[in-house]
Amino acid sequence: MKPLARWLAAALVLSALAFALSSYHNDVYRKLLLWVTLALGYNFLFGVAGQVAFSHFAFYGIGAYSIVILTFQAGLPLPLAIVAGVALCVAVALAVAIPSTRLEGFYLALATLALAQLFIVVLNEGGAVTGGAGGLADYRLPAILGVRVTGPWYTVVIVLLMLGTMALLARLDRSWFGRACRAVRDSPEAAAAMGVNVARTKVIAFTLTSALAAVAGMAYAFVDNTVNPPIFGLENAFLLLFMVIIGGAGRQAGAIAGAVALYLLPFVLSPLIGHHHALVFGVLMVAAILLQPRGLIGLYDALRRRAA
Amino acid sequence: MRSADALLEVRGLTRRFGGLLAVADLDFTVRPGEILGLIGPNGAGKSTTFNLIAGALRPDAGEIRAGGEPVAGLPPHEIARRGILRTFQHNRVFAGMSVVENVMVGAHTRFRAGLWSIVGARAGARAEEAAVRARAEELIGFVGLAEWREADVTTLSFGQGRLLEIARAMAGDPRLILLDEPAAGLAPAELDRLAALLRGIAARGIAVLLIEHDMRFLLPLAGRVVVLNFGVKIAEGSADEIRHHPAVIDAYLGDPAALVDAARAGESTHAAA
Amino acid sequence: MRDLLELAVSASATGCVYALLALAYLVMIRPTGIINFAVGEWAMVGAFGAFLAVTKVELPYPVGVAAVLACMFVVGWATERIAVRPLVRAGAPLLAPILALLGMLVVFRESVALAFGPDPYPVPYPLGFGRLELGPLAGSYQSFFIIGTTLATFALAWLFFERTLAGKCFAAVAIDRRAAALVGIDRTRVAALSFAAGAVIAALAGLLVGPNVSAHYLMGVPLAIQGFTALVIGGVGRVEGALLGGLLLAFAEQLTARYAPLPPGYAQGVPLALLMLFLLVRPTGLLAERGARA
Repeated sequence: MKPLARWLAAALVLSALAFALSSYHNDVYRKLLLWVTLALGYNFLFGVAGQVAFSHFAFYGIGAYSIVILTFQAGLPLPLAIVAGVALCVAVALAVAIPSTRLEGFYLALATLALAQLFIVVLNEGGAVTGGAGGLADYRLPAILGVRVTGPWYTVVIVLLMLGTMALLARLDRSWFGRACRAVRDSPEAAAAMGVNVARTKVIAFTLTSALAAVAGMAYAFVDNTVNPPIFGLENAFLLLFMVIIGGAGRQAGAIAGAVALYLLPFVLSPLIGHHHALVFGVLMVAAILLQPRGLIGLYDALRRRAA
Repeated sequence: MRSADALLEVRGLTRRFGGLLAVADLDFTVRPGEILGLIGPNGAGKSTTFNLIAGALRPDAGEIRAGGEPVAGLPPHEIARRGILRTFQHNRVFAGMSVVENVMVGAHTRFRAGLWSIVGARAGARAEEAAVRARAEELIGFVGLAEWREADVTTLSFGQGRLLEIARAMAGDPRLILLDEPAAGLAPAELDRLAALLRGIAARGIAVLLIEHDMRFLLPLAGRVVVLNFGVKIAEGSADEIRHHPAVIDAYLGDPAALVDAARAGESTHAAA
Repeated sequence: MRDLLELAVSASATGCVYALLALAYLVMIRPTGIINFAVGEWAMVGAFGAFLAVTKVELPYPVGVAAVLACMFVVGWATERIAVRPLVRAGAPLLAPILALLGMLVVFRESVALAFGPDPYPVPYPLGFGRLELGPLAGSYQSFFIIGTTLATFALAWLFFERTLAGKCFAAVAIDRRAAALVGIDRTRVAALSFAAGAVIAALAGLLVGPNVSAHYLMGVPLAIQGFTALVIGGVGRVEGALLGGLLLAFAEQLTARYAPLPPGYAQGVPLALLMLFLLVRPTGLLAERGARA
């Protein structure tokens, strides 16, 4: 029961924080939590399963748009809309993943990059359904059983989503499935020789993490109460990759460190360099790959070893 | 021999690369618990045979049966499911995992817990994980890597990597282990240790199919030997029969060093006997 | 018919730009196996360079362009030294330099954004603005200039790869790195040169397309995707493939934009759909090339 107690304590502390923050800071905090959630999923896909995909953020967008469209245009009740939205993402992910597993290395990245860009084209041209370039706005989270979750309570929902994603991925990572993913990443031939079905392992990892991104996107849809194409563009797909690499790919602590650092860095840097924090991200990315491939978390390990 | 006794039965196995006949109409069987050597000069078709059995290549013709079941043309992971596990000539350990995790990947086909019971942290899944880990640690001790159990595999020497690959293959509870030139690149002291290890594996009732170039290493070890040249089986028999077989001496004439090696191997076994 | 011929000239010019970008990828992939997604940013830097050298400093067009391309040679060389060579030397997997170059992409783009801000800048026309009629073919001076320059570049590239010893060395490094080292080909030097050449070719594409679209710091990534699509369509194996792929892509784009009953915005999706289709359905050319290393 010790691990369970630890999860409960984390949930309590992170939730309590929401009630201590102003409404502006709650907004920042929610987005931080969502970035961490996304980075955890992307870490499993890229860091553990070794797939370079740029579609993760597009699935976040598909989740966000689908919940809004299904709830407010198709008129589905929220729980049904969530299930239908996830099913849609799973279907899209399978359609991409099954043929893509034949692609190695960076070719998967470019196929998913095209998918991500195509998604933006569809959003811009979707007419009344997607709201075009302006996106969709003026909707509110519907009440569930007469209760409307608002303010810090909605932050608690996102805390639970983040911790749930983390627990789920941590358990998978420590199981035969996580080892199979790492084996496929390190040497597909050797993995196959040990009985790992390489194609199936890749498809499951891609579909699962894409579905998790979609669920995070559904939560995001009610953070700003608006969804529009620029949010889900390539910039953020790159940022997600940078977060995981700079933080330390393959470890949850790395993904969390990277997401927190890169999300908060612009707040610190903007008085100094305005909107040019992306330049710093680029330099950090190159520096991380060249000097510390294990990222911030590897740096922390090295410092701790030196101190000991 | 009757095919019911055979663990692995190869009949009429043929594979071409363009116009080149790499393996031609090859027949042999592997019996439970034996060490079978497959030798031949460079380009004799040893590695092709190995890859055909392991599923890395598809045969053009012929049959491969594992415990009576046809397995020719199945993908590598299906071959592994049937209890045939291999090592690689150039070590292919999983660089991003510890030694014990590497070995646990070898037990991949032994797991029964589904993804849902893992996510739910069900007792059955946890017990299975613990049991496989204990077994992996036992195997790491068996191959002599106990000190490096939690080490980063990138810190292992080449010879230790080879031992790790053997432990990894053992973790799948194989009926047959395929070893692709395991002696290549090892120091003399490591060779003795490897020979002892392979005998230990056979003693556990696991058959070993050994592809080897180094006759000095192979002949004292193998119970039976199949000799290939230009893709064709030119001899089969005990180590002693092979050593004096005229076709084998002919085949190795182009490679005097190998003949000297073979002669020395003969002396050392006679000395030991 | 007249309409179609006019479209053919402008599509050919656009296709030539894509083809140059595909060629830039190709000269780097051949010896190193590395897909350098920063070629789009190099094209962007080339367009800004033309603005600086010709419009701002008022150098004559050929001198200005020569100066820009010489600078880009150094930029390409330096990129290889900074973001590729240390990783190759350390034996990192091929993905590591590819990801480091993605970081470089952002560094290039944001540096230009820092220096020039978000406004577009005019890039000079070498031959002025005007219309040329060559028999039934008609188009802007710039279209014909792009086509001529591209054909000359491809002729040089073809001669280099197919007819010179140095070009064969590039291919030798691609086919078998160890063997190339054994016969005394300096791999690191070939890699550095290939990046320098890639930067020059990409910059050339940028300053050719620049007058039509203006230099803008966000112009790189679309060009990088279009160039890569052209490469995938044409295949990595042959130099002419890049030219063919570029032309096919541009014609597909412009014909759908003009004649297909689609909302105009969806025409942007054509290269993306083509890229996915080719990667997923016909990746054989690509994968055969990569498999050749094993």
